[in-house]
Amino acid sequence: MYAWRLFKDTVNPVSTALGLSIDDALPLSLSRHGSPPILHLYVFRPSAIVGKYQDIEAALRLDRCRDRGIEYNRRSTGGGTVIMGPKVVAFGLGINIDQPGLGKGIAGIFESLSAVLIRALQDLGIKAGFRPKNDIEVDGRKIAGLSATLETEKAILFHASLLVDFDIPLMLDIMNQPPLKLYDKGYSCFSQRITTIREQLGHDIDMEPVIEAIENALSQKFGVSIEEDEPDRWEKESIKDSVNKRYTNPNWIFSHKHPRSSAGMGQLKTPGGLLEIYLSLAGSTIEHIIITGDFFSTTKDINLLESALKWTSAKRENIEEHLSEIWTEDMIYGVDVPTLTEAIVRAKGNLVTT
Amino acid sequence: MAIIKGYDMPDELYYHEEHSWARVEGSRVTVGMDDMFQKEAGDIVFVDLPDEGDEVAQGEVCGKIQSRKWIGKLCAPVSGEIVETNEELEDDTSLINHDPYGEGWILVIEATDLENELGNLMHGDSLVPFIDQEIKRAEEERAKA
Repeated sequence: MYAWRLFKDTVNPVSTALGLSIDDALPLSLSRHGSPPILHLYVFRPSAIVGKYQDIEAALRLDRCRDRGIEYNRRSTGGGTVIMGPKVVAFGLGINIDQPGLGKGIAGIFESLSAVLIRALQDLGIKAGFRPKNDIEVDGRKIAGLSATLETEKAILFHASLLVDFDIPLMLDIMNQPPLKLYDKGYSCFSQRITTIREQLGHDIDMEPVIEAIENALSQKFGVSIEEDEPDRWEKESIKDSVNKRYTNPNWIFSHKHPRSSAGMGQLKTPGGLLEIYLSLAGSTIEHIIITGDFFSTTKDINLLESALKWTSAKRENIEEHLSEIWTEDMIYGVDVPTLTEAIVRAKGNLVTT
Repeated sequence: MAIIKGYDMPDELYYHEEHSWARVEGSRVTVGMDDMFQKEAGDIVFVDLPDEGDEVAQGEVCGKIQSRKWIGKLCAPVSGEIVETNEELEDDTSLINHDPYGEGWILVIEATDLENELGNLMHGDSLVPFIDQEIKRAEEERAKA
């Protein structure tokens, strides 16, 4: 059986600089150093990590992070802010895009690697599913987020964070989410949108069985054995270089290569009730959206609608198109796609720079 | 204008295998991403552009393109100096989706070796087997999955 490598740092949480540097070394080692695929399973020290093209000062309350001893950094994959810590599994995988068993194209890659985590959750007794295009959910609530970057000719870094347990009050304290500043029900808002392995099982769980389930699921998915290993000398040099030049470098952490951030709120009275939309944009893209009000719907449907719009264009025609793709009758009772679109466009009309 | 298997791939352009296109006007080459890329990637949310004045070699990664949580690469189809970048993309990256060969152009290269390099790109009839192969690979992978 063909062996893949495993770098495991799940007992002693690592710094953001080290964890992210090891992740960056994974695709490089495949494409330039001849390594087989490498899985990096680890936990971070308590930290907040923004996506490659996010405005860190708009995304985080850096003063609160410093006061509470929460590290902050910028990763090399896309997406939004993640709060990491000893009870969140970080999953980094360096893999070639032509690896047998890996789906083709961006959607294929996300689907086939999400299947690994879904299988691992299933083995732990949790029925999870893939929520296009970048999340894994349980009954409409997000339990893991996925992101990826193509760093070399054909090797990618795929990253996922899986919530074993999660501190929502901490997140609300250190994140500077513009919609949340406007919306005063932060805790219930997030507790309805995310879940954890601990919550699903109804009891505490050690990290080790979770890690083991992920290793087994990956091994079965690709028909390979996975052997624990350490970075070799070449890889250690690459990691050291990334730590020094990138992840401890203020020019990287506070990079200004990002779109402008703005946020706004819109209301619309409809036959189905009042629609209230809280919206934040990165440039012309929806970064966060909260759909609330006094209408009839389910948490699952609202989360599905919000998820379909996150990281998509905020143009009216795009909003309408993305909503139509997933819309089912009475998703929001008495509201149709053009009406919901209009409410979102109203929020867009009230944007202020953040 | 050519539609190949549902993808709009204008005849007059040259294409790199990583899905960047080149419109040649003298030594000035306008560059963007093709219709197959934008359909596959979905909504483009950020484009990380090189600086004007940067030198690039054919095939070199000269920019990054984020769609949702995926970050892909923009490969220079020809060598030369970046002389212009599309500032409109700073405010509206969806131009790449809506008009990949028009308002969604990404940058302009003042080419230094067009004579030798255009032959390395796909153009006209040579594009059909490439698109076929890309589609076939996608279908095979889907079948395996």
